[in-house]
Amino acid sequence: MAPEEVGVAGLAREEAESFLYREARLIDDLELEEWLRLFTEDGVYWIPIDDRKPVEWNTSLVYDPPLRREERVYHLLHVPFPAQAPRSRTLHLVGNVEVTAGDDGAFRVRSHQVVYEVRLGDFRQVGLGEVRPIVARVEHVLRRVDGQLRIALKKVLLIDREMSQSNLTFII
Amino acid sequence: MAVSGSTLPVRSRSGVDPEALVLEGPHTYRVHTRAYTDPAVFEAEMQRVFARTWVYVGHESEIPRPGDYKTAHVGLQPVIVSRGDGGEIHVLVNRCVHRGSVVCRSPRGTANYFRCPYHGWVYGKDGSLAGIAMREGDGGYSEHFEAPAGLLRLPRVASYRGLIFASFNPEVPSIERHLGKAARLIDNKVDRSPAGEIVLRSDPYVVTYKGNWKFQAENIVDGYHFTFVHEGFVKLQERYGDATGDFGVHRGRSMAEVRRIRARGVSWGCAQGHGLSAKPVDRIEPLLEGHFGDYYRGLLERHGPERVAWIAGSGAMSIFPNLGIIHQQIRVWRPLAPDLTEVTVYPYELKDAPDEINQGWLRSQERFYGPAGHGMPDDVEIFALNQQGLEASSVDWLILERGLDRERVDEDGDHEGLPSGETPQRAFWRRWKRLLAEG
Repeated sequence: MAPEEVGVAGLAREEAESFLYREARLIDDLELEEWLRLFTEDGVYWIPIDDRKPVEWNTSLVYDPPLRREERVYHLLHVPFPAQAPRSRTLHLVGNVEVTAGDDGAFRVRSHQVVYEVRLGDFRQVGLGEVRPIVARVEHVLRRVDGQLRIALKKVLLIDREMSQSNLTFII
Repeated sequence: MAVSGSTLPVRSRSGVDPEALVLEGPHTYRVHTRAYTDPAVFEAEMQRVFARTWVYVGHESEIPRPGDYKTAHVGLQPVIVSRGDGGEIHVLVNRCVHRGSVVCRSPRGTANYFRCPYHGWVYGKDGSLAGIAMREGDGGYSEHFEAPAGLLRLPRVASYRGLIFASFNPEVPSIERHLGKAARLIDNKVDRSPAGEIVLRSDPYVVTYKGNWKFQAENIVDGYHFTFVHEGFVKLQERYGDATGDFGVHRGRSMAEVRRIRARGVSWGCAQGHGLSAKPVDRIEPLLEGHFGDYYRGLLERHGPERVAWIAGSGAMSIFPNLGIIHQQIRVWRPLAPDLTEVTVYPYELKDAPDEINQGWLRSQERFYGPAGHGMPDDVEIFALNQQGLEASSVDWLILERGLDRERVDEDGDHEGLPSGETPQRAFWRRWKRLLAEG
């Protein structure tokens, strides 16, 4: 059996999968304060347009260091705004999970995710009631902090990242 | 009417009556629902607006060297904006004149020629036909064959401060005449750069919304909507201020303060159809003494105190028909259908400005714009709401009368109004109506 199928020393694939499933559940259930706590103190949530370019010189769809991540969650949970009024309902499917070790002691977990999203409200209206698939390869950099897995980086590579997008004002 | 021999097809008049779509009186300014929803109006716009006036197609920094190209649209017409050997710019229709295939499939790149994938016809950077594959021989073309000159080329191309415009209309007035007062506001934006030049380096945001293109043209200079559509954003400002990367762009930490700040400044509605708004900084001294003092003192030296107040201030433009400039970005809206529009936001950099400034502006844009930003998704959501609302065609009119009694006509023949009035929007519709009436 190839090493990536069983995980690497210190992180079995099964544990990585459970972690990703739990993260997906927190997002889909809108338990976003809990989701924030999955990250390390300096953890970054990143949805690049082009991850080969330096982030300081290129816009990202999302580039959220801790305070920005907190702001995004505060916005979603406590401040009504038109693009999320009514809200989105999401459902994450997580598959093709592979684990590799980084040379910095972190674990790299790569997964394929299909996120189905639908806006609630009067489904007969434009933009509401339409189920949209958002397709991505997701790369997590995980570390153990006090024995718990934590996200140092969540990079979401949408397969259409440099193309036209619709509303993405929810957590992917 | 055909333009310049072979450009646009002759179309019968569509029965669109602009007089019935825009209602103007001394105390009245209303636009009919059909102006946003009717496919016949949309078709007329493509013929009489987008094929008749200047349309923004790109920025020179996107195609800096000979052979560089990018694709764009003039209305529904797909074009290639190409840099020729002498540095000149050509705008070519992206369609092989043989059997119709597109000749360019990349949004951007560098090429010595464009080759049709179907039968191998080859065109130069200027669109001229450079070669026909297997021209002679069995089954080839006879000596009587009239080979076309090349890709259809837009007869007029011009640039202003690096912004490239093109027109299908050979009779279109000069770009300077078209821009009018907007040129002064473009100057103010570009002269924030110590080199007097802006550069597009970052990837753009591209967002498609289910609404008419004119909602975006109207909204980018709408001073009235901010505290309603972006109420949530103002709440984020209250809580986070500059800590999450606003870079001091959005002033005001409460609704009352934002309203007060936004009530200052001037707006114009230009005869050419542009809507403009600008607000100088109150005092330049804090900037001169601040963290970026060297940079602002350089601007002061180059442009003098009066202009620097405007240069360092804020400005927003809706340049008729498809270009916006606001914040530190160029925005392009592209009509796809009466109820479908693509918006592209190109953040730009100020050449030779401190890295910290360019990166600061970029972070600020990242926070507000794009499909996951805290501002732009709300605007495009409203455009879709508008389109949905207009399904209720039993209501005839939209009302654009704010500040109608408070505007004056200035020495340029432009309407000058107050910031949260609808002076810019009325200017758009005035020009729109005139172009549609010209048939």
